[in-house]
Amino acid sequence: MPAVEIDHVSYAYPPRGFDSPSVPAIEEVNFAIEQSTKLGILGPNGGGKSTLIKLILGTLKPTAGAVRVFGHTPAKARRLGLIGYLPQRIEADRDWPINVGQVVGLAHAWRKNPWERLSTDDHDAIARALNLVEMQGLSDRPIGTLSGGQLQRVMIARAIAGSPKLLILDEPTVGVDIAGQQRFGELIETLHHELDLTVIVVSHDMRAIAAVADRVACLSQTLHFHDAPGGLTPAVLAEVFAHDVAGVFGDIHIDAHLAKDCACDHDAHADKHDGDTP
Amino acid sequence: MIPLALLSQPESATLLWPAIVATLVISVMGAALSIFVVLKRLAFIGQGISHAGFGGVGVALILGVHTTSTMGSIGQLAIVVIFCVLAALWIAALTRAHKGRGDTAIGVVLSASMALGFVLFSIAESGHDLGAGSGHDDLEEVLFGSIRGTTETSAAIAIAVATAVMGATWLLRRRLIFWSFDEPVCDAFGLDSARVTNLFFVILALAIVMAMQIAGVVLAAAMLVLPGAAALNLSLRLRPAFIYAIAIALIGAGAGMVVGAEGHYPIGPSVVLAQSVIYLATLAAKSLRARLRS
Repeated sequence: MPAVEIDHVSYAYPPRGFDSPSVPAIEEVNFAIEQSTKLGILGPNGGGKSTLIKLILGTLKPTAGAVRVFGHTPAKARRLGLIGYLPQRIEADRDWPINVGQVVGLAHAWRKNPWERLSTDDHDAIARALNLVEMQGLSDRPIGTLSGGQLQRVMIARAIAGSPKLLILDEPTVGVDIAGQQRFGELIETLHHELDLTVIVVSHDMRAIAAVADRVACLSQTLHFHDAPGGLTPAVLAEVFAHDVAGVFGDIHIDAHLAKDCACDHDAHADKHDGDTP
Repeated sequence: MIPLALLSQPESATLLWPAIVATLVISVMGAALSIFVVLKRLAFIGQGISHAGFGGVGVALILGVHTTSTMGSIGQLAIVVIFCVLAALWIAALTRAHKGRGDTAIGVVLSASMALGFVLFSIAESGHDLGAGSGHDDLEEVLFGSIRGTTETSAAIAIAVATAVMGATWLLRRRLIFWSFDEPVCDAFGLDSARVTNLFFVILALAIVMAMQIAGVVLAAAMLVLPGAAALNLSLRLRPAFIYAIAIALIGAGAGMVVGAEGHYPIGPSVVLAQSVIYLATLAAKSLRARLRS
């Protein structure tokens, strides 16, 4: 069973006013993400990457097609705690009187009965999550005293503390230098290995994708590429970004790294899904 | 309005105790919610909900279920609750539709409700002989509150609603903390943020209607802001902040009632003023502590 099945999915944002049309964000996207893979979804700003994430999370419903997460509807997958999520912008209120351990535990503690206290297992899960993101010992630190990088790690710990099977990272390395991106990639590799996670990372930045993913899909309203034979060619990138970006990404060995597992193409996935029940 | 010495006379004490108990209970309830109101920045939304109650009082007046005491009429209380709950849910829906920007929704609800209330007061005044000045007195009581005429029944209603509000807040506490700390990701973690918002806004509406009995339409929301704002000046840890908020609310309510009674000032505004003074004192203490540490 694939971790995620995107079955001929389209989504258009509804009109925002009487005189504005609906805005198509993605059209006829059709692919599957196998379990335990680390998929990068690359695309330009406004290309529909965040919309695709919201569809996988189930916070948006497709206008056409269907999304399944481990065989469930996204809403049920969320209720079952199968999905961990790191948002693009951390909008949590840093003035909140709350410490690191409470933040990590919070996303899962709400599921407990109100009269139940957090168990030893819950505290162990929080400690393990903090340990995996190398934030052990900071459990009692007020959230407002953390640096941006530390806060991101805490939010990753929050995402994995409930033992999800799928981790979704939305533009996780915006504003991070190359060394930081590599460290982030190593962290995600550790989580992937330790927790047997399926990872989806979305970014407009090829370096961020290269640091984290071992497979790649390109999205610019439609799916331009997914594990196509021959890897990410300059021609594919130029089509996705509507601009010749080969020079920008010239120092990244995309053929050697990103395309190493390319085994099937978009049409092959479409064929595979033709007989599936949505 | 209520000289404190009257408490020593058994017959007048019997009349005053319900008002005192109602004021203290409503203050504690306001304090329990105020931490969330302040941290989630809902103070202005509280104002919108409380002012919706004015439209409800106007409707009660037209329907003939209004009494001179804001605590005295069950019918009026029911209508105001309905108005405030609907206003709260409407503000919540409009805020969601405008991606968290609730200012327009609040502006519409607040001004429309006030306008409706004033028009209905005017219609009622012109259609009935309310007696010289009584319409104006009614209006003042609705706007700024009055504990005059608080009966054992109305105090019992205040205790029941406050208990329900605090019980619901306790049951929802983990959801409320997650929602108010980081609402944008709640849905991704399986917590229905729209449902939590609606539940908390309904709780807020019930609490505000109760606070209106003491402090009126204009000042009710202050009882759901000041204790939390003051407590968070004293502690950046959640549990102590709740304890401080309740203590501050009780001290403010006690001081306000004593000063109001002795000085013959209206009790509701006196309570809010006392809580405001405590807030300023905690703000000064916070600044002083920061200066001493730097």
